Amino acid sequence: MITLVKQETFKLLHKKSTYAVSATLLILMTLFAVLSRSHPKYWGQPQDQFVQLFTGINWIVLFMIAACSSIIAMEFQYGTIKELLYRKYYRGEILVSKWITMLLYSIYFYVVAFVWSLLMKVVLFNDKFQLSDKYSGGHTVMETQWLGIVGSFLTIWLVLSLVLLLANIFKSTAAAISIGIIGYFALNIVSSIMFVLMQKWEWLKWNPLNMMNLSNQLVSSSFHKMTLLSTPEMIAGSLVYTAIFMAISYVIFKRRSV
Amino acid sequence: MTDAILNVEHLNKNFGRKQVLKDVSFSVQTGHIVGLVGPNGAGKSTIMKAVLGLFNYSSGKITIDGELVSPTSHKAMDKVGALIEYPGIYPFLTGYQHLQLFSKESTSKDQIMDIVDKMKMDSYINRKAKTYSLGMKQKLGIALALVDRPKFVILDEPMNGLDPQANKDLRKIILDLAKQGTTFLISSHILSELEKLVDDLVVIDKGQIVYTQSMAELESGSKKLLVLKTSDDAKAKDVLSQNGYQLDDGDKLSIIETEQTKMADVIKLLSDNGVDIEDVQHVHSDLETSLLNLLKNDKVKES
Repeated sequence: MITLVKQETFKLLHKKSTYAVSATLLILMTLFAVLSRSHPKYWGQPQDQFVQLFTGINWIVLFMIAACSSIIAMEFQYGTIKELLYRKYYRGEILVSKWITMLLYSIYFYVVAFVWSLLMKVVLFNDKFQLSDKYSGGHTVMETQWLGIVGSFLTIWLVLSLVLLLANIFKSTAAAISIGIIGYFALNIVSSIMFVLMQKWEWLKWNPLNMMNLSNQLVSSSFHKMTLLSTPEMIAGSLVYTAIFMAISYVIFKRRSV
Repeated sequence: MTDAILNVEHLNKNFGRKQVLKDVSFSVQTGHIVGLVGPNGAGKSTIMKAVLGLFNYSSGKITIDGELVSPTSHKAMDKVGALIEYPGIYPFLTGYQHLQLFSKESTSKDQIMDIVDKMKMDSYINRKAKTYSLGMKQKLGIALALVDRPKFVILDEPMNGLDPQANKDLRKIILDLAKQGTTFLISSHILSELEKLVDDLVVIDKGQIVYTQSMAELESGSKKLLVLKTSDDAKAKDVLSQNGYQLDDGDKLSIIETEQTKMADVIKLLSDNGVDIEDVQHVHSDLETSLLNLLKNDKVKES
């Protein structure tokens, strides 16, 4: 298994896009940090920007959706799937090695964005706010950032498990990326309708889109009036949905003829 | 050598309702080069994929070196190298990186460079694969199959896209490796190329094995003809058949050669009867002819 993860990492590290994406993330974060310093009225208060990693969290979602769909779909696109499969390894191992690689990749993104956000804070905003300042719901700025990171990590993986499944079904990078991205951003549009419907039919609170509000709820506990779920219920729900999507991918991948 | 590295027994495979493999059984002897031939869509790639554990089969048994092969049982694949259909290539990696990526950890850098050298890929091995031509990709695919020096190599249409020189190089590599004990299962449409390589032949048509023999037997089973051009073919035909020569059907005047057929006798007989011989040709039927006959007869048998 370690060999397989190493091989997946080897491929990832030899793609130019891997480096381009990391650089883009840092550039975008810097850009939003600078804008927030010069025009906080339009581009958000420094603390607000800091807790969401200077928009880094949103970019990480996009980049991870692209990475997850391509790590599966590229093998079908390039015809390399056969080469991967007719070796001594089991099919399940091949798929799991890809998941592990993506998990490591997502952790890498968060670490980079976190470190960069601290750097931005020190360089640009040392005079504006302190990490120990009270932010919202009794949490400090630092705590809020951490809760946001944990929440978004869980929701991102809920989305990614679905993207990994779609890439497996459609064997096409484009389809998996577009559905993943549209799905992620459609949440903001449909959530208001969803909340109304949930008032009427309470069981709808268990739908996967509702789980995506986890970060919001972690930061402000009053959010559970909207989601109708307690925080532990949401965490469990996200994990269960992620596990379900992963399990379906696993079964499909094992049965597929290539 | 009598031990078989590959054993396929009563293999059946359906794609939906269509049965693509019907009770396929054959074995590949260790150290032999075996050709798998048949018309398009006969099931050659399907057999190879099943042997590589790429998909489920409805019934039957495949073993490589005594170990069972199925999609859930891949241990035997450690001894196998393969190229199926077209080479799978990552455009963002160089040729060398492909070999690094897919070779075992026990395969040394020297072993990688050895196959690069033999395949004459040195000049572009460090270039990104997206710049490769079809032939270069094909060579890389073959190199990937051979780099770990497996005991058993499966090559599907390895000559695809190769120029004549590369073809010759590949033939030499295969023959050298076979001498050292590597077993090959090769499919190809280019029968004249295959003819120069294989020890045994497995012929498949419509998902069924129609022929498994050694090349030598196939060749000895084929007709040798003495094709004549004379001043009066009709008269010559009469004279020859009256004198006990067997003639082949067809427009041309051709005698089926046997041990007893002597050119001098034929010439004397004809000139005694006033027929002048203008041209004489020996014709051996090649693999292509033998194979086409085989497939033709097989269809007759089926109907």
